Amino acid sequence: MPSWLTLLIAPFIVLNVVIGLVTYVTLLERKFAARMQSRIGPYRVGPHGLLQPIADALKLMMKEDVVPTAADRRIYNLAPIVFLIPCMLIFATIPFAPGLGVADVNIGILFFLAVSAMEIVGLFMAGWGSNNKYALLSAMRAVNQIISYDLPFIFSALVPVLLAGSLKMSDIAAVQQGSPLKWFIFYPVIGQLAFIMFIVSTLAAENRVPFDILEAESELVAGFRVEYSGMKFALIQLGEYAHMIGSSFLGALLFLGAWSGPGPEYLGPIWFLLKAMFIFLVVTWIRWSFVRIRVDQILALSWKALLPATLGLLITTAVVVVWRTSGF
Amino acid sequence: MASEVRPRTAESVEADLKVRPYETVRRYEATEITTIVRAVLRAMGATLKNLFRKPVTVHYPDKERQYPSRYRGLLALTYDKETGEENCIGCRLCEYVCPPAVIKVEMLKSEKRNYAKTFTLELYACEFCELCVQVCPTDAIVMMKSFDMPTADRREMLLDKDRLHAIGLQYEQSWATGNRLRDMQTPPKAPAPAHAPKPAATTQGSADPGKSGADPVGPRVETV
Repeated sequence: MPSWLTLLIAPFIVLNVVIGLVTYVTLLERKFAARMQSRIGPYRVGPHGLLQPIADALKLMMKEDVVPTAADRRIYNLAPIVFLIPCMLIFATIPFAPGLGVADVNIGILFFLAVSAMEIVGLFMAGWGSNNKYALLSAMRAVNQIISYDLPFIFSALVPVLLAGSLKMSDIAAVQQGSPLKWFIFYPVIGQLAFIMFIVSTLAAENRVPFDILEAESELVAGFRVEYSGMKFALIQLGEYAHMIGSSFLGALLFLGAWSGPGPEYLGPIWFLLKAMFIFLVVTWIRWSFVRIRVDQILALSWKALLPATLGLLITTAVVVVWRTSGF
Repeated sequence: MASEVRPRTAESVEADLKVRPYETVRRYEATEITTIVRAVLRAMGATLKNLFRKPVTVHYPDKERQYPSRYRGLLALTYDKETGEENCIGCRLCEYVCPPAVIKVEMLKSEKRNYAKTFTLELYACEFCELCVQVCPTDAIVMMKSFDMPTADRREMLLDKDRLHAIGLQYEQSWATGNRLRDMQTPPKAPAPAHAPKPAATTQGSADPGKSGADPVGPRVETV
Protein backbone atom coordinates (compact mmCIF):
# COMPACT_ATOMS: atom_id res chain seq x y z
CA MET A 1 0.00 0.00 0.00
CA PRO A 2 1.41 3.39 -0.91
CA SER A 3 2.13 5.57 2.07
CA TRP A 4 -0.10 8.43 0.96
CA LEU A 5 -3.03 6.02 0.97
CA THR A 6 -2.42 4.98 4.57
CA LEU A 7 -2.20 8.65 5.43
CA LEU A 8 -5.64 9.13 3.96
CA ILE A 9 -7.36 6.11 5.46
CA ALA A 10 -7.08 7.09 9.13
CA PRO A 11 -8.48 10.61 8.68
CA PHE A 12 -11.23 9.20 6.47
CA ILE A 13 -12.31 6.77 9.15
CA VAL A 14 -12.10 9.37 11.93
CA LEU A 15 -14.04 11.89 9.87
CA ASN A 16 -16.87 9.46 9.20
CA VAL A 17 -16.99 8.19 12.74
CA VAL A 18 -17.14 11.76 14.00
CA ILE A 19 -19.95 12.68 11.61
CA GLY A 20 -21.89 9.59 12.59
CA LEU A 21 -21.28 10.32 16.24
CA VAL A 22 -22.38 13.91 15.87
CA THR A 23 -25.67 13.01 14.21
CA TYR A 24 -26.49 10.56 16.96
CA VAL A 25 -25.37 12.90 19.70
CA THR A 26 -28.14 15.26 18.62
CA LEU A 27 -30.59 12.47 19.34
CA LEU A 28 -28.93 11.81 22.69
CA GLU A 29 -29.19 15.44 23.60
CA ARG A 30 -32.82 15.69 22.56
CA LYS A 31 -33.76 12.57 24.50
CA PHE A 32 -31.83 13.71 27.55
CA ALA A 33 -33.30 17.20 27.42
CA ALA A 34 -36.77 15.78 27.00
CA ARG A 35 -36.43 13.59 30.05
CA MET A 36 -35.27 16.58 32.08
CA GLN A 37 -38.51 18.28 31.18
CA SER A 38 -40.63 15.18 31.81
CA ARG A 39 -41.15 14.67 28.09
CA ILE A 40 -40.22 11.71 25.90
CA GLY A 41 -38.48 13.38 23.00
CA PRO A 42 -38.25 11.94 19.49
CA TYR A 43 -40.27 8.75 19.48
CA ARG A 44 -42.05 8.22 16.21
CA VAL A 45 -39.27 7.69 13.66
CA GLY A 46 -38.03 4.18 14.19
CA PRO A 47 -38.14 2.40 17.54
CA HIS A 48 -37.91 5.03 20.26
CA GLY A 49 -37.00 7.60 17.64
CA LEU A 50 -33.70 5.93 16.81
CA LEU A 51 -33.92 6.87 13.13
CA GLN A 52 -34.69 10.51 13.88
CA PRO A 53 -31.18 11.85 13.04
CA ILE A 54 -31.33 10.15 9.64
CA ALA A 55 -34.75 11.61 8.99
CA ASP A 56 -33.44 15.03 9.99
CA ALA A 57 -30.45 14.72 7.69
CA LEU A 58 -32.63 13.63 4.77
CA LYS A 59 -34.99 16.49 5.40
CA LEU A 60 -32.16 19.02 5.46
CA MET A 61 -30.71 17.59 2.24
CA MET A 62 -34.00 17.98 0.43
CA LYS A 63 -34.60 21.53 1.57
CA GLU A 64 -34.34 24.36 -0.86
CA ASP A 65 -31.11 26.29 -0.62
CA VAL A 66 -32.07 29.92 -0.13
CA VAL A 67 -29.55 32.71 -0.57
CA PRO A 68 -30.74 36.16 0.47
CA THR A 69 -30.66 38.69 -2.35
CA ALA A 70 -28.62 41.19 -0.41
CA ALA A 71 -26.17 38.60 0.91
CA ASP A 72 -22.49 38.69 0.05
CA ARG A 73 -22.70 35.52 -1.99
CA ARG A 74 -19.12 34.38 -1.88
CA ILE A 75 -18.67 34.86 1.84
CA TYR A 76 -22.13 33.52 2.53
CA ASN A 77 -21.48 30.30 0.63
CA LEU A 78 -17.99 29.81 1.96
CA ALA A 79 -18.80 30.41 5.62
CA PRO A 80 -20.26 26.98 6.53
CA ILE A 81 -17.18 25.24 5.16
CA VAL A 82 -14.77 27.58 6.88
CA PHE A 83 -16.77 27.03 10.03
CA LEU A 84 -16.81 23.26 9.73
CA ILE A 85 -13.14 22.66 8.92
CA PRO A 86 -11.62 23.76 12.27
CA CYS A 87 -14.37 21.95 14.11
CA MET A 88 -13.39 18.74 12.33
CA LEU A 89 -9.67 19.41 12.51
CA ILE A 90 -9.67 19.33 16.30
CA PHE A 91 -10.23 15.59 16.16
CA ALA A 92 -6.92 15.18 14.36
CA THR A 93 -4.77 15.30 17.46
CA ILE A 94 -6.97 13.34 19.82
CA PRO A 95 -5.65 9.82 20.42
CA PHE A 96 -8.64 7.55 20.93
CA ALA A 97 -6.48 4.77 22.33
CA PRO A 98 -2.72 4.30 22.64
CA GLY A 99 -1.47 4.75 19.09
CA LEU A 100 -4.97 5.09 17.64
CA GLY A 101 -5.38 8.55 16.24
CA VAL A 102 -4.69 10.63 13.17
CA ALA A 103 -1.70 12.66 14.29
CA ASP A 104 -0.42 12.46 17.82
CA VAL A 105 1.84 15.49 17.49
CA ASN A 106 4.00 16.63 20.37
CA ILE A 107 2.13 19.93 20.66
CA GLY A 108 -1.29 18.30 20.42
CA ILE A 109 -2.98 20.48 23.04
CA LEU A 110 -1.65 23.64 21.49
CA PHE A 111 -2.95 22.53 18.09
CA PHE A 112 -6.33 21.73 19.56
CA LEU A 113 -6.67 25.06 21.36
CA ALA A 114 -5.47 27.08 18.38
CA VAL A 115 -7.66 25.35 15.83
CA SER A 116 -10.77 25.32 17.98
CA ALA A 117 -10.53 29.09 18.33
CA MET A 118 -10.47 29.41 14.55
CA GLU A 119 -14.13 28.54 14.15
CA ILE A 120 -14.83 32.18 14.92
CA VAL A 121 -13.63 33.09 11.44
CA GLY A 122 -16.33 31.03 9.77
CA LEU A 123 -18.83 32.21 12.29
CA PHE A 124 -18.13 35.85 11.61
CA MET A 125 -18.16 35.23 7.87
CA ALA A 126 -21.61 33.70 8.21
CA GLY A 127 -22.86 36.64 10.24
CA TRP A 128 -21.35 39.22 7.92
CA GLY A 129 -22.19 37.52 4.65
CA SER A 130 -25.85 37.03 5.52
CA ASN A 131 -26.36 40.80 5.50
CA ASN A 132 -28.91 40.44 8.24
CA LYS A 133 -28.79 42.60 11.32
CA TYR A 134 -29.60 39.76 13.68
CA ALA A 135 -26.92 37.57 12.16
CA LEU A 136 -24.37 40.35 12.30
CA LEU A 137 -25.25 41.20 15.88
CA SER A 138 -24.93 37.58 16.82
CA ALA A 139 -21.59 37.23 15.06
CA MET A 140 -20.23 40.28 16.86
CA ARG A 141 -21.40 38.96 20.18
CA ALA A 142 -19.72 35.66 19.38
CA VAL A 143 -16.41 37.31 18.61
CA ASN A 144 -16.69 39.26 21.82
CA GLN A 145 -17.39 36.16 23.83
CA ILE A 146 -14.85 33.87 22.25
CA ILE A 147 -12.07 36.40 22.72
CA SER A 148 -13.07 36.68 26.37
CA TYR A 149 -13.30 33.00 27.06
CA ASP A 150 -10.43 31.56 25.08
CA LEU A 151 -7.95 32.69 27.69
CA PRO A 152 -9.62 31.01 30.69
CA PHE A 153 -10.23 27.98 28.46
CA ILE A 154 -6.57 27.71 27.57
CA PHE A 155 -5.36 28.39 31.09
CA SER A 156 -7.63 25.77 32.61
CA ALA A 157 -6.58 23.28 29.94
CA LEU A 158 -2.96 24.01 30.73
CA VAL A 159 -3.29 22.87 34.34
CA PRO A 160 -3.31 19.16 33.40
CA VAL A 161 -0.54 19.93 30.93
CA LEU A 162 1.59 21.22 33.80
CA LEU A 163 0.70 18.27 35.98
CA ALA A 164 1.60 15.82 33.24
CA GLY A 165 4.60 17.79 32.05
CA SER A 166 3.83 17.38 28.37
CA LEU A 167 1.83 19.01 25.59
CA LYS A 168 1.43 15.69 23.83
CA MET A 169 -2.05 14.30 24.26
CA SER A 170 -1.02 10.67 24.55
CA ASP A 171 1.52 11.56 27.26
CA ILE A 172 -1.12 13.36 29.29
CA ALA A 173 -3.37 10.33 28.98
CA ALA A 174 -0.56 7.93 29.79
CA VAL A 175 0.22 9.70 33.08
CA GLN A 176 -3.34 9.11 34.23
CA GLN A 177 -3.40 5.37 33.53
CA GLY A 178 -3.63 2.77 36.26
CA SER A 179 -6.11 3.71 38.93
CA PRO A 180 -8.88 6.33 38.74
CA LEU A 181 -7.14 8.17 41.56
CA LYS A 182 -4.48 9.16 39.07
CA TRP A 183 -7.04 11.06 36.99
CA PHE A 184 -6.33 14.74 37.19
CA ILE A 185 -9.87 15.50 38.37
CA PHE A 186 -8.93 13.72 41.61
CA TYR A 187 -5.75 15.72 42.07
CA PRO A 188 -6.36 17.39 45.43
CA VAL A 189 -8.09 20.79 45.15
CA ILE A 190 -6.30 21.87 41.96
CA GLY A 191 -7.90 19.15 39.86
CA GLN A 192 -11.47 19.88 40.91
CA LEU A 193 -11.09 23.64 40.58
CA ALA A 194 -9.50 23.30 37.16
CA PHE A 195 -12.25 20.94 36.03
CA ILE A 196 -15.02 23.34 37.07
CA MET A 197 -13.28 26.24 35.36
CA PHE A 198 -12.73 24.08 32.29
CA ILE A 199 -16.43 23.20 32.10
CA VAL A 200 -17.50 26.82 32.56
CA SER A 201 -15.14 28.17 29.93
CA THR A 202 -15.98 25.30 27.57
CA LEU A 203 -19.62 26.21 27.88
CA ALA A 204 -18.80 29.79 26.99
CA ALA A 205 -16.40 28.92 24.20
CA GLU A 206 -19.03 26.64 22.65
CA ASN A 207 -21.70 29.31 23.11
CA ARG A 208 -23.90 27.00 25.10
CA VAL A 209 -26.55 28.00 27.59
CA PRO A 210 -26.16 29.94 29.92
CA PHE A 211 -23.66 31.75 27.70
CA ASP A 212 -25.70 31.57 24.51
CA ILE A 213 -26.14 35.29 23.90
CA LEU A 214 -25.12 34.88 20.29
CA GLU A 215 -28.01 32.55 19.66
CA ALA A 216 -30.37 33.93 22.30
CA GLU A 217 -33.40 31.99 21.12
CA SER A 218 -35.84 34.60 22.32
CA GLU A 219 -34.23 37.61 20.66
CA LEU A 220 -31.88 36.70 17.80
CA VAL A 221 -33.84 33.72 16.44
CA ALA A 222 -31.00 31.39 15.46
CA GLY A 223 -28.21 33.92 15.66
CA PHE A 224 -25.59 33.98 12.92
CA ARG A 225 -27.19 31.06 11.07
CA VAL A 226 -30.60 32.64 10.76
CA GLU A 227 -30.36 33.04 6.98
CA TYR A 228 -29.02 29.57 6.29
CA SER A 229 -31.13 26.70 5.11
CA GLY A 230 -30.76 23.18 3.83
CA MET A 231 -27.33 21.61 3.75
CA LYS A 232 -25.50 24.82 4.66
CA PHE A 233 -27.47 24.98 7.84
CA ALA A 234 -26.71 21.31 8.40
CA LEU A 235 -22.99 21.95 7.96
CA ILE A 236 -23.06 24.69 10.57
CA GLN A 237 -24.98 22.52 13.00
CA LEU A 238 -22.56 19.69 12.32
CA GLY A 239 -19.65 22.00 13.05
CA GLU A 240 -21.16 23.20 16.31
CA TYR A 241 -21.81 19.72 17.58
CA ALA A 242 -18.43 18.48 16.38
CA HIS A 243 -16.79 21.28 18.32
CA MET A 244 -18.80 20.40 21.36
CA ILE A 245 -17.91 16.72 21.16
CA GLY A 246 -14.28 17.57 20.49
CA SER A 247 -14.21 19.67 23.64
CA SER A 248 -15.87 16.85 25.56
CA PHE A 249 -13.17 14.47 24.35
CA LEU A 250 -10.54 16.99 25.39
CA GLY A 251 -12.10 17.29 28.84
CA ALA A 252 -12.25 13.52 29.20
CA LEU A 253 -8.63 13.26 28.13
CA LEU A 254 -7.35 16.04 30.36
CA PHE A 255 -9.28 15.29 33.51
CA LEU A 256 -10.92 11.87 33.36
CA GLY A 257 -7.98 9.74 32.32
CA ALA A 258 -8.91 9.22 28.66
CA TRP A 259 -8.98 5.47 27.93
CA SER A 260 -8.17 4.22 31.41
CA GLY A 261 -10.81 1.90 32.76
CA PRO A 262 -11.46 -1.66 33.83
CA GLY A 263 -11.40 -4.50 31.35
CA PRO A 264 -9.04 -5.42 28.53
CA GLU A 265 -7.15 -2.85 26.55
CA TYR A 266 -9.41 -2.88 23.50
CA LEU A 267 -12.22 -1.46 25.64
CA GLY A 268 -10.17 1.73 26.01
CA PRO A 269 -11.85 3.71 23.22
CA ILE A 270 -15.26 2.75 24.61
CA TRP A 271 -14.32 4.11 28.02
CA PHE A 272 -12.99 7.24 26.40
CA LEU A 273 -16.23 7.69 24.48
CA LEU A 274 -18.31 7.12 27.61
CA LYS A 275 -16.34 9.72 29.53
CA ALA A 276 -16.66 12.21 26.70
CA MET A 277 -20.41 11.56 26.59
CA PHE A 278 -20.54 12.07 30.33
CA ILE A 279 -19.02 15.53 29.93
CA PHE A 280 -21.36 16.24 27.05
CA LEU A 281 -24.35 15.27 29.17
CA VAL A 282 -23.15 17.45 32.03
CA VAL A 283 -23.05 20.34 29.58
CA THR A 284 -26.57 19.51 28.43
CA TRP A 285 -27.66 19.20 32.03
CA ILE A 286 -26.35 22.70 32.69
CA ARG A 287 -28.12 23.91 29.58
CA TRP A 288 -31.55 22.97 30.88
CA SER A 289 -30.90 24.19 34.42
CA PHE A 290 -30.03 27.82 33.91
CA VAL A 291 -31.30 30.93 32.25
CA ARG A 292 -29.24 33.08 29.96
CA ILE A 293 -26.78 35.54 31.47
CA ARG A 294 -26.63 39.14 30.30
CA VAL A 295 -23.82 40.26 27.98
CA ASP A 296 -22.05 42.40 30.55
CA GLN A 297 -22.34 39.64 33.13
CA ILE A 298 -20.74 37.19 30.76
CA LEU A 299 -17.84 39.51 30.12
CA ALA A 300 -17.53 40.38 33.80
CA LEU A 301 -17.47 36.72 34.72
CA SER A 302 -14.69 36.10 32.26
CA TRP A 303 -12.44 39.08 32.83
CA LYS A 304 -13.05 39.70 36.52
CA ALA A 305 -13.46 36.20 37.87
CA LEU A 306 -12.48 33.40 35.57
CA LEU A 307 -9.34 34.86 34.03
CA PRO A 308 -7.64 35.82 37.34
CA ALA A 309 -8.78 32.56 38.90
CA THR A 310 -7.41 30.36 36.12
CA LEU A 311 -4.21 32.36 35.98
CA GLY A 312 -3.78 32.03 39.74
CA LEU A 313 -4.54 28.34 39.56
CA LEU A 314 -1.99 27.88 36.80
CA ILE A 315 0.70 29.59 38.85
CA THR A 316 -0.23 27.60 41.94
CA THR A 317 -0.06 24.41 39.91
CA ALA A 318 3.37 25.37 38.64
CA VAL A 319 4.57 25.99 42.17
CA VAL A 320 3.14 22.71 43.38
CA VAL A 321 4.67 20.78 40.51
CA VAL A 322 8.10 22.32 41.06
CA TRP A 323 7.83 21.73 44.80
CA ARG A 324 6.86 18.09 44.36
CA THR A 325 9.43 17.25 41.71
CA SER A 326 12.39 19.03 43.28
CA GLY A 327 11.28 18.31 46.81
CA PHE A 328 12.27 21.47 48.58
CA MET B 1 -26.15 43.51 38.54
CA ALA B 2 -28.80 44.95 40.80
CA SER B 3 -27.47 47.26 43.41
CA GLU B 4 -28.13 46.43 47.02
CA VAL B 5 -31.48 47.35 48.41
CA ARG B 6 -31.13 49.48 51.52
CA PRO B 7 -32.39 52.82 52.69
CA ARG B 8 -30.23 55.62 51.46
CA THR B 9 -29.65 58.91 53.17
CA ALA B 10 -27.46 61.78 52.17
CA GLU B 11 -24.91 60.71 54.77
CA SER B 12 -24.83 57.08 53.71
CA VAL B 13 -24.37 58.01 50.08
CA GLU B 14 -21.53 60.31 50.97
CA ALA B 15 -19.95 57.64 53.12
CA ASP B 16 -20.35 55.12 50.33
CA LEU B 17 -18.66 57.37 47.85
CA LYS B 18 -15.71 57.75 50.17
CA VAL B 19 -15.30 54.01 50.52
CA ARG B 20 -16.25 53.02 47.01
CA PRO B 21 -15.86 55.87 44.56
CA TYR B 22 -17.07 53.79 41.64
CA GLU B 23 -20.38 52.05 42.03
CA THR B 24 -19.60 49.87 39.07
CA VAL B 25 -16.76 48.19 40.87
CA ARG B 26 -18.63 45.73 42.94
CA ARG B 27 -17.15 43.23 45.31
CA TYR B 28 -18.86 39.95 45.87
CA GLU B 29 -19.27 39.27 49.54
CA ALA B 30 -18.63 35.79 50.87
CA THR B 31 -22.32 35.27 51.64
CA GLU B 32 -23.23 36.21 48.09
CA ILE B 33 -20.94 33.59 46.69
CA THR B 34 -22.45 30.89 48.88
CA THR B 35 -25.87 32.07 47.72
CA ILE B 36 -24.82 31.77 44.10
CA VAL B 37 -23.32 28.33 44.61
CA ARG B 38 -26.40 27.16 46.46
CA ALA B 39 -28.65 28.49 43.70
CA VAL B 40 -26.59 26.73 41.05
CA LEU B 41 -26.77 23.44 42.92
CA ARG B 42 -30.50 23.81 43.48
CA ALA B 43 -31.17 24.50 39.81
CA MET B 44 -29.15 21.49 38.74
CA GLY B 45 -30.78 19.37 41.42
CA ALA B 46 -34.22 20.24 40.11
CA THR B 47 -33.39 19.11 36.59
CA LEU B 48 -31.66 16.00 37.90
CA LYS B 49 -34.77 15.05 39.83
CA ASN B 50 -36.85 15.47 36.69
CA LEU B 51 -34.47 13.23 34.79
CA PHE B 52 -35.45 10.22 36.85
CA ARG B 53 -39.13 11.01 36.90
CA LYS B 54 -41.56 9.26 34.57
CA PRO B 55 -42.39 11.42 31.55
CA VAL B 56 -45.87 12.88 31.65
CA THR B 57 -46.36 12.61 27.89
CA VAL B 58 -49.33 10.56 26.72
CA HIS B 59 -48.74 8.82 23.40
CA TYR B 60 -51.90 10.39 22.13
CA PRO B 61 -53.05 8.56 19.03
CA ASP B 62 -51.95 5.22 20.49
CA LYS B 63 -53.22 5.73 23.98
CA GLU B 64 -56.10 7.84 25.06
CA ARG B 65 -55.96 10.08 28.06
CA GLN B 66 -58.59 9.62 30.76
CA TYR B 67 -60.92 12.53 30.40
CA PRO B 68 -62.06 14.47 33.45
CA SER B 69 -65.60 13.56 34.49
CA ARG B 70 -66.98 16.93 33.41
CA TYR B 71 -65.15 17.09 30.08
CA ARG B 72 -67.17 18.70 27.29
CA GLY B 73 -66.00 18.22 23.72
CA LEU B 74 -67.65 17.35 20.42
CA LEU B 75 -71.31 18.09 19.92
CA ALA B 76 -73.77 15.34 19.09
CA LEU B 77 -77.45 14.47 18.88
CA THR B 78 -78.98 11.82 21.08
CA TYR B 79 -81.69 9.20 20.88
CA ASP B 80 -84.19 8.56 23.58
CA LYS B 81 -82.90 5.67 25.64
CA GLU B 82 -86.24 3.94 26.14
CA THR B 83 -88.09 4.42 22.89
CA GLY B 84 -85.09 4.75 20.61
CA GLU B 85 -86.58 7.82 18.97
CA GLU B 86 -84.49 10.85 18.26
CA ASN B 87 -84.79 13.48 20.94
CA CYS B 88 -84.65 16.55 18.75
CA ILE B 89 -88.00 18.21 18.24
CA GLY B 90 -86.72 20.77 15.78
CA CYS B 91 -87.63 23.72 18.03
CA ARG B 92 -84.69 25.76 16.68
CA LEU B 93 -83.80 27.20 20.09
CA CYS B 94 -80.17 26.21 19.56
CA GLU B 95 -80.16 27.90 16.18
CA TYR B 96 -81.39 31.12 17.75
CA VAL B 97 -78.98 31.09 20.64
CA CYS B 98 -75.85 30.08 18.74
CA PRO B 99 -73.43 33.06 18.84
CA PRO B 100 -71.40 32.14 15.73
CA ALA B 101 -74.59 30.92 14.04
CA VAL B 102 -73.21 27.56 13.03
CA ILE B 103 -76.41 25.58 13.67
CA LYS B 104 -79.16 25.39 11.08
CA VAL B 105 -82.36 23.47 11.82
CA GLU B 106 -85.50 22.88 9.78
CA MET B 107 -88.57 21.70 11.57
CA LEU B 108 -90.68 18.79 10.37
CA LYS B 109 -94.23 19.07 11.68
CA SER B 110 -95.75 15.81 12.72
CA GLU B 111 -98.76 14.58 14.64
CA LYS B 112 -97.63 13.79 18.17
CA ARG B 113 -94.40 15.72 18.19
CA ASN B 114 -92.17 17.55 15.76
CA TYR B 115 -88.87 16.44 14.31
CA ALA B 116 -85.84 18.11 12.82
CA LYS B 117 -85.98 17.69 9.08
CA THR B 118 -82.39 18.79 8.72
CA PHE B 119 -79.89 19.65 11.40
CA THR B 120 -76.48 20.93 10.35
CA LEU B 121 -73.64 22.05 12.60
CA GLU B 122 -70.55 23.70 11.16
CA LEU B 123 -68.08 22.36 13.67
CA TYR B 124 -65.14 24.22 12.13
CA ALA B 125 -66.64 27.51 13.28
CA CYS B 126 -68.14 26.28 16.52
CA GLU B 127 -66.78 27.97 19.60
CA PHE B 128 -67.95 25.28 22.03
CA CYS B 129 -69.77 27.75 24.24
CA GLU B 130 -72.31 25.08 25.19
CA LEU B 131 -75.24 27.47 24.90
CA CYS B 132 -77.07 25.10 22.53
CA VAL B 133 -76.81 22.37 25.14
CA GLN B 134 -78.10 24.68 27.82
CA VAL B 135 -81.21 25.74 25.95
CA CYS B 136 -82.15 22.34 24.54
CA PRO B 137 -85.45 21.43 26.18
CA THR B 138 -85.24 17.74 25.32
CA ASP B 139 -81.55 17.08 25.98
CA ALA B 140 -81.22 16.32 22.29
CA ILE B 141 -77.93 18.12 21.65
CA VAL B 142 -75.17 17.26 24.09
CA MET B 143 -71.40 17.31 24.32
CA MET B 144 -69.19 14.25 24.20
CA LYS B 145 -66.14 13.26 26.23
CA SER B 146 -63.88 13.47 23.18
CA PHE B 147 -62.33 15.95 20.83
CA ASP B 148 -61.31 13.35 18.27
CA MET B 149 -62.15 14.68 14.86
CA PRO B 150 -58.92 15.16 12.94
CA THR B 151 -59.39 15.77 9.26
CA ALA B 152 -57.46 17.11 6.32
CA ASP B 153 -60.52 18.74 4.79
CA ARG B 154 -62.64 21.06 6.79
CA ARG B 155 -65.69 20.26 4.74
CA GLU B 156 -65.77 17.05 6.67
CA MET B 157 -66.52 19.09 9.75
CA LEU B 158 -69.82 20.26 8.37
CA LEU B 159 -71.90 17.83 10.37
CA ASP B 160 -75.36 16.82 9.25
CA LYS B 161 -77.98 15.10 11.33
CA ASP B 162 -76.74 11.57 10.60
CA ARG B 163 -73.16 12.38 11.53
CA LEU B 164 -74.25 14.09 14.71
CA HIS B 165 -76.24 11.02 15.70
CA ALA B 166 -73.30 8.79 14.82
CA ILE B 167 -71.00 10.83 17.05
CA GLY B 168 -73.54 10.56 19.82
CA LEU B 169 -73.39 6.78 19.60
CA GLN B 170 -69.63 6.63 19.16
CA TYR B 171 -68.40 8.44 22.24
CA GLU B 172 -69.29 8.70 25.86
CA GLN B 173 -71.71 11.45 26.68
CA SER B 174 -70.65 14.30 28.90
CA TRP B 175 -72.36 14.85 32.19
CA ALA B 176 -73.94 18.14 31.20
CA THR B 177 -77.34 18.13 29.54
CA GLY B 178 -79.76 20.98 29.08
CA ASN B 179 -82.08 20.01 31.88
CA ARG B 180 -79.38 19.37 34.41
CA LEU B 181 -77.69 22.66 33.64
CA ARG B 182 -80.94 24.55 33.93
CA ASP B 183 -81.72 22.88 37.21
CA MET B 184 -78.43 24.06 38.58
CA GLN B 185 -79.26 27.62 37.69
CA THR B 186 -82.80 27.80 39.00
CA PRO B 187 -83.12 29.13 42.52
CA PRO B 188 -83.32 26.41 45.16
CA LYS B 189 -86.81 25.10 45.59
CA ALA B 190 -88.73 25.40 48.83
CA PRO B 191 -87.96 22.38 50.98
CA ALA B 192 -91.54 21.09 51.26
CA PRO B 193 -94.04 22.30 48.70
CA ALA B 194 -97.16 22.67 50.79
CA HIS B 195 -99.51 23.41 47.95
CA ALA B 196 -99.68 21.86 44.55
CA PRO B 197 -96.26 20.90 43.04
CA LYS B 198 -94.95 23.69 40.90
CA PRO B 199 -95.22 23.02 37.18
CA ALA B 200 -91.94 22.87 35.40
CA ALA B 201 -90.58 26.16 34.27
CA THR B 202 -89.59 24.85 30.88
CA THR B 203 -91.67 22.79 28.58
CA GLN B 204 -91.02 19.11 29.10
CA GLY B 205 -89.49 16.85 31.63
CA SER B 206 -87.16 19.30 33.28
CA ALA B 207 -88.67 19.04 36.72
CA ASP B 208 -87.95 15.40 37.20
CA PRO B 209 -87.97 15.81 40.97
CA GLY B 210 -85.72 12.90 41.75
CA LYS B 211 -82.99 14.22 39.55
CA SER B 212 -83.07 17.93 40.06
CA GLY B 213 -82.03 17.88 43.69
CA ALA B 214 -79.23 15.38 43.67
CA ASP B 215 -77.55 15.46 40.34
CA PRO B 216 -76.05 18.93 40.06
CA VAL B 217 -74.23 18.38 43.30
CA GLY B 218 -73.18 14.83 42.65
CA PRO B 219 -70.99 15.15 39.58
CA ARG B 220 -69.38 18.25 40.86
CA VAL B 221 -67.73 16.20 43.56
CA GLU B 222 -66.04 13.90 41.05
CA THR B 223 -64.43 16.79 39.26
CA VAL B 224 -60.74 16.13 38.71
